[in-house]
Amino acid sequence: MTGNEAASSAAGIPLRPFYAPGAGGRDYAEIGDPGAYPYTRGRIGPPAARTRRRRGWIHRELSGEGSPRRSNEQLRALLARGALGIDVIGDNPTMSALDPDHPMCTPAVGTTGVSLCRKQDFIELVAGIPLDEITLSHSLPPAFALAGQYLASPCHGIDPRVLRGSAIQPPLYSEDCSYSTFLPFGTRMRLTLDSIVFALREMPRFHAFLEDTYYISDGGLDVVEEMSLGLLEIREVCRRLLARGLPVDSFAPRIAILVNCRMDLFEEIAKIRATRRMFARMMREEFGATDPRSWSVNIAVHTSGLTLTAAQPANNIVRGAVQALAMAMAGVQGLEISAFDEPFRTPSAIAHQVAIRTQQVIQTETNVTAVEDPLGGSWYLESLTDELEGRIDAAVRQIEALGDVGTLVETGYFRNIFLHGMDRHSRAVQSGELRMVGVNEHVIAPEDDWFLRDIAEQRFEPDYAHVESIRAWRPTRDDVALRAGLEHVREASADPEADLMGPIVAALDADATIGEITGCLREGLGLPGDPFEFAARRQAPGIRT
Amino acid sequence: MTGPPAGPSAPSAGSGRPGRVVIGTLGLDQHEVGAMAISRILIRHGYEVIYLGRFNTPERLTGAAEQEDADLVGVSIHSWEYTAYADELLARCQELGIGLVFGGSVLTERDQAELLGRGADAVFGPYASEATMLRQIDAVVRRVRGGDRPARAHQPGPDHPLQLAGQVVIVTGAAHGLGRAYALELCRQGAAVVADDIDEAALKEVTDAAADLPGSVHAVVCDVTGSDAPRTMLDAALRRYGQLHGLVSNAGLLRSGPILRLDDSDLHLLLEVHVTAPFRLLRAIGGYWRAESKAGRAVEASVVLTTSAAGLYGFRAEAAYSAAKAAVAMLARVGADELGRYGATVNAVAPVARTRLTEWLGEAPPNPGDDPLAADHVAPAIAWLLGPAARNITGRVLEVGNGRISAPSPWQPGPQFPLPSLLSPEAADLLLPQVLASATPPLEVLSSQVTGPE
Repeated sequence: MTGNEAASSAAGIPLRPFYAPGAGGRDYAEIGDPGAYPYTRGRIGPPAARTRRRRGWIHRELSGEGSPRRSNEQLRALLARGALGIDVIGDNPTMSALDPDHPMCTPAVGTTGVSLCRKQDFIELVAGIPLDEITLSHSLPPAFALAGQYLASPCHGIDPRVLRGSAIQPPLYSEDCSYSTFLPFGTRMRLTLDSIVFALREMPRFHAFLEDTYYISDGGLDVVEEMSLGLLEIREVCRRLLARGLPVDSFAPRIAILVNCRMDLFEEIAKIRATRRMFARMMREEFGATDPRSWSVNIAVHTSGLTLTAAQPANNIVRGAVQALAMAMAGVQGLEISAFDEPFRTPSAIAHQVAIRTQQVIQTETNVTAVEDPLGGSWYLESLTDELEGRIDAAVRQIEALGDVGTLVETGYFRNIFLHGMDRHSRAVQSGELRMVGVNEHVIAPEDDWFLRDIAEQRFEPDYAHVESIRAWRPTRDDVALRAGLEHVREASADPEADLMGPIVAALDADATIGEITGCLREGLGLPGDPFEFAARRQAPGIRT
Repeated sequence: MTGPPAGPSAPSAGSGRPGRVVIGTLGLDQHEVGAMAISRILIRHGYEVIYLGRFNTPERLTGAAEQEDADLVGVSIHSWEYTAYADELLARCQELGIGLVFGGSVLTERDQAELLGRGADAVFGPYASEATMLRQIDAVVRRVRGGDRPARAHQPGPDHPLQLAGQVVIVTGAAHGLGRAYALELCRQGAAVVADDIDEAALKEVTDAAADLPGSVHAVVCDVTGSDAPRTMLDAALRRYGQLHGLVSNAGLLRSGPILRLDDSDLHLLLEVHVTAPFRLLRAIGGYWRAESKAGRAVEASVVLTTSAAGLYGFRAEAAYSAAKAAVAMLARVGADELGRYGATVNAVAPVARTRLTEWLGEAPPNPGDDPLAADHVAPAIAWLLGPAARNITGRVLEVGNGRISAPSPWQPGPQFPLPSLLSPEAADLLLPQVLASATPPLEVLSSQVTGPE
């Protein structure tokens, strides 16, 4: 942007040179105190005197690397450095609900997250983790995350009823945005609904419905697209839960949102305030919730990997810090900073430490958490909050006016939005319209760009040993129980009225793998069990057999 | 009126596009940002993209490339999984004789060097500029099509290598005679021709004649003397193909008459068609190439102007036409100097052929193959000047046809004599005959008694 053009926000909202009283245009009742409807200023009020609740947010970092045992060590290392929660992500096969010993999967085992395909893996992943004290957020296929944790925690003496954490429910957008599981929309939605109902019953403190707008938006969507698609998915799932006869207050308190945070900081803060207000209104006025816990949504944030650069990786530490500071001031409940080596890999140990320390410095040294919603009342921020609310709401209505959301999913309506966003972003970077230090401005020669690159570019092998151990383990299973468990999954999948979660938990408990169970879900629908049949007879690259 | 577009099932050699590319990610790498971005960039620049999306193996990518007769496979990399597939992919692409290009966020400089060392044609790390990617992909396509790599099954025989595949060339006056022959020959060599003429019906016949050739013809009905004609043609080329690599300025006409009898309207028309029109074309298209070059995109462009033996040696009773054609030769000379810095060559051809302008040559023999004056004999030289072998040829004139080809000697200084500070009439009487006698005398002006300089 040159000085001659009118300023605008990252999402294209025209900005004035400065803001004056009246710009926000609302009376205070429309904003409300922190912890009071409509929760613009925060989900919860300041802690009452002499309560044990600490101020601030849950410090956590995205983790998972190699086998479950190796990931377990990583989780322990993070907790030892002061992380207050865990967010664990699966590797590419796990995210696609495939087993590590599939020839298509072997080259990717453990390199971008943890490899999980069986009950034993979940048990090993959380060994020695105080699950009754901290939260465990799963960035995994949700039905399996919930089933796995439900089965694993009793093995460590922890009642599933005390578990806290979250599971991402991505029924609308997963196939289009990196989390493809090769299941049709109808089955994805059934898995979402059944696993939420399961968790409400068995893991009542768990946020079984985490709406993740991070992964859908980090290809290049703006904040209006991000939140309108997120709210659209929440509304769709809520309607279907209501249609099953669940009271809104039975599930609404278990909804949480994981949002993105890019570099236009005021816009990102305003987005969170607008989202809290919109969620509260939607729950109370549209869905008729009466429990205040249903109105006040829990929002966590993952700072944008797309804003980080492979050039001059140290600059990413600065980006993470300013994003985290903004999110601290926005009053989020949980925070993950995309680590400085994000453009190259999942976080290294030192990048994890820098990210956790960044959060700790902000929390303990800056005093920004002393006051709730410290930026509230800023004429600019209140105006931006109102403007975003209007734009997001209009976008939601516009899409809902197009008709059945499931049809939009299957006809590629959303995929086009994502592809368009990616194209727009890459053009903006190429043209320099989106200014990025070290990329299209303040570039230095590659030979001068050495600082932290050695760490960022460190690489590790796929966990072939884990693949071998899974291969060796398969024939040792109780074949009768296994076959029965899988057959129940197949039958349930074929019956649109049947619950999927019961058979899935039982099959996983009978040592069926995630890949086998998902294969049976497909077979029950008359689809091929293996989405990569064309590669099934490939010799797995990298493994000598 | 437009010519038949290259259908999606046409082989790449016949598509007239700068290249046909298969794009996808490998294995379970689900990040499509890079694959989408490069696809959109290529499509914007006229490439055909076969987008395979996610979940590919080497055999899927190369299988699609073989089936679609693609020039290269492009793989977007956002996961280390690629290391398990790279060797197989390289081997398969080499076997098919097609290019292989990697790009992606996780490719470090070391990875890039390693992949290049193992045989990848190009590797782009994060933030490779659009210009760099386009330039390198264009070079890969040219190399693949030029047959530096093992030949592909679908490539035509050696008598017609597709030297101009992927090139977009404007030919003016393309409906008849030489222009028609040029358009068809360029098509035969794989070019996409934007064919201009005022004769719509005849132009349609040219596009029909090109239907089975490897290249394509896109017809634009437009009078070259219109002040907006260059813009119209350039826009047509860019809208249709996204780029432009060449211009053959061929449109011409003849108004004969000795100086004492030629009226102003004929004089103006001759100068408009032969001088002003190519000048304006050079200005408009040169401006486009300059902009491309300034934007960092490599320009490899060529212009061929049409001069004439009349312009080089003079023709009896054709003073205006000869003067106009002489101007064209000089336009090529200075144009070459000016546009060279932007990556364009400018040359001129003096064709010797039987056309509507040379009816005095008489009837053609029944079989055009036996006619040394057939326009078809000139066209390959034009194509050569537009092709990769002539990248360093600029500012030159070729005289082609009637069974011979030559590069006429241009104007150059004659033997020099000291010029006295004050040349008296007596001294002039002595000196000037000496000066003139020492220089090479001009040829006799041509006349219809000869069919070219002897």
